[in-house]
Amino acid sequence: MVKHRVRSDRIGYFYFPIILFLLFLIALSAVYSVSIGQVHIPFRQSMNILLHVLTNGRLGSPDAVGNESYFNIIYQIRMPRVIFALLIGMGLSLCGTVMQAVVQNPLADPYIIGISSGASLGATIAILIGFGASAFFANFGVAFGAFVGAVITSAAVLLLSSIGGKATSVKLVLSGVVVGAFCSSLSSLVIFFANNAEGVQQVAFWSMGSLAPSSWDKVPILTIVVLLGCGIFLFQHRVLNTMLLGDESAVTLGINLSAFRKIYMVLAALITGTMVAYSGTIGFVGLIVPHICRGLFGADHKRLMPATLLLGGLFLIWADILSRTLVPNVDLPIGIITSVIGSPLFIYMIVKKGYNFGG
Amino acid sequence: MELTAKELHVRMGKKEIIKNASVFVKNKQFVGLIGPNGCGKSTLLKSIYKSLTPQSGSVFLGDLNVLKSSEKKVSQHLGVVGQFNEMSFDLTVEQMVLLGRTPHKKLLESDQADDYEIVEEALRRTRLQDYRTRSYLSLSGGEKQRVILARTIVQQPQLMILDEPTNHLDIRYQFEILSCVKQLGISVLAALHDLELAVMYCDYLYAVKDGEIYAHGRPEEVLTPETVEALYQIKCQTYINPVTKRLGFAYGV
Repeated sequence: MVKHRVRSDRIGYFYFPIILFLLFLIALSAVYSVSIGQVHIPFRQSMNILLHVLTNGRLGSPDAVGNESYFNIIYQIRMPRVIFALLIGMGLSLCGTVMQAVVQNPLADPYIIGISSGASLGATIAILIGFGASAFFANFGVAFGAFVGAVITSAAVLLLSSIGGKATSVKLVLSGVVVGAFCSSLSSLVIFFANNAEGVQQVAFWSMGSLAPSSWDKVPILTIVVLLGCGIFLFQHRVLNTMLLGDESAVTLGINLSAFRKIYMVLAALITGTMVAYSGTIGFVGLIVPHICRGLFGADHKRLMPATLLLGGLFLIWADILSRTLVPNVDLPIGIITSVIGSPLFIYMIVKKGYNFGG
Repeated sequence: MELTAKELHVRMGKKEIIKNASVFVKNKQFVGLIGPNGCGKSTLLKSIYKSLTPQSGSVFLGDLNVLKSSEKKVSQHLGVVGQFNEMSFDLTVEQMVLLGRTPHKKLLESDQADDYEIVEEALRRTRLQDYRTRSYLSLSGGEKQRVILARTIVQQPQLMILDEPTNHLDIRYQFEILSCVKQLGISVLAALHDLELAVMYCDYLYAVKDGEIYAHGRPEEVLTPETVEALYQIKCQTYINPVTKRLGFAYGV
């Protein structure tokens, strides 16, 4: 009997304690996040209200809370927002990890197949042109436009890359660039001819990425999509690991990458599309979080995936806290925060000696 | 396990790369594939291990119809040590070798104690025990090749295909890799560049020229001065090496 188990060098047997610690940090940060903002609500009361809501009134007493408006601020405004931050952070890191494996390139992010420009085009059209008088489409508005844009572009990229045989990772990346550029120019065209200053500003704001539009009515769809995605990909580590080896070696290990690549991309595109529809494009999370986790836990997806999901959620909760508190009385778009934190971090990781994209 | 590849044709664009090539490997036989660069050795091997689909022909591994079976089914019996094993991500040596268990695992199945024992045995055979937690990307060419060989051993194939496994390796690693493969006691089909190595290790040789089987037979039968000259377009004389008592080659004379 061999006792030895596969482990990465740096974390080793501390893996499970670290995962538990991350979970604990997320819970703590969530409570902190709902307690701060323009109205400061004491930590104890926030925790009471959260417990009360989460356990359906069994734990935590609303009487101790006392203040009705505190309850409303937390329940109506801040709770859905924290849930959004957690889910979108998880979702972006998930899709980033998957996309990096799919295109075998550690520099890929969830938007690599043109999703962001497609979603922007959809949102731009929805804002500046609108879907006409039809009440059904008007209801969904920007989110609907963005989702449709994201799905159409990723379908186009998939189709384009499978012309003339197998969809290789290089073809995928190049198709993504081409389709992305095309969508951006169409967006510019729409903006150029739009005689609507307010709408243009709205487009600009949307494209920065923001969690401000979070609300309870949007939580169910996002929760289902992201958690389902996490559930699926948490158990795909075998194929994801084989993907890292490239097509040639994967075939000899019995895995036809071309088929898996398509399935994974469709799933990732649907998840990313949903997130983009609700919050705009939030950059760098899907790139930087998988990177950091690979450095810490190694590239084996069995260990990488859970850690990435948790760290992604934690990262976005804190980015959201910063976006609400950095400038008093101003709700900065979260996309600005993630890029401001993300880019120097990324440069540091590249410059740092010995960093070799994955372990 | 016996390999029977019959009348394979591979065309890429308009160019016919493999023309009517047939290769047989008997049970536990070490068969070599020799020929100049670009003669189609790799393509022929790829069309056997399903990386390329031949236009016509048949490949059977025992009773298994390779071209019509799933990649998974084939990879349970056939292991491949390929030519290019670079990647942009890093794994530890042990993780890399453990990937060799993939063909025997269901999608959601986790690795069991016996999988780790198989990995341990492969690491021992390739003398990589001390490399377990080393990062794969930090290894030298010869060490990387040993890791890939260990991964292929872990696959527990009945036939192993090697595509120029000793490329860029120094003499010691060339011997180590081929001896290790020979000791496995399974059927082997290997593309080789070094004719003296081919003489040492192979029971049977196929010489490939311009996508066709130019000659085949026991190494001493195939490796005549005429054949070597025709294959590589270089003058060559053969002799019996006084030290090894094996066939030797003197080129350019």
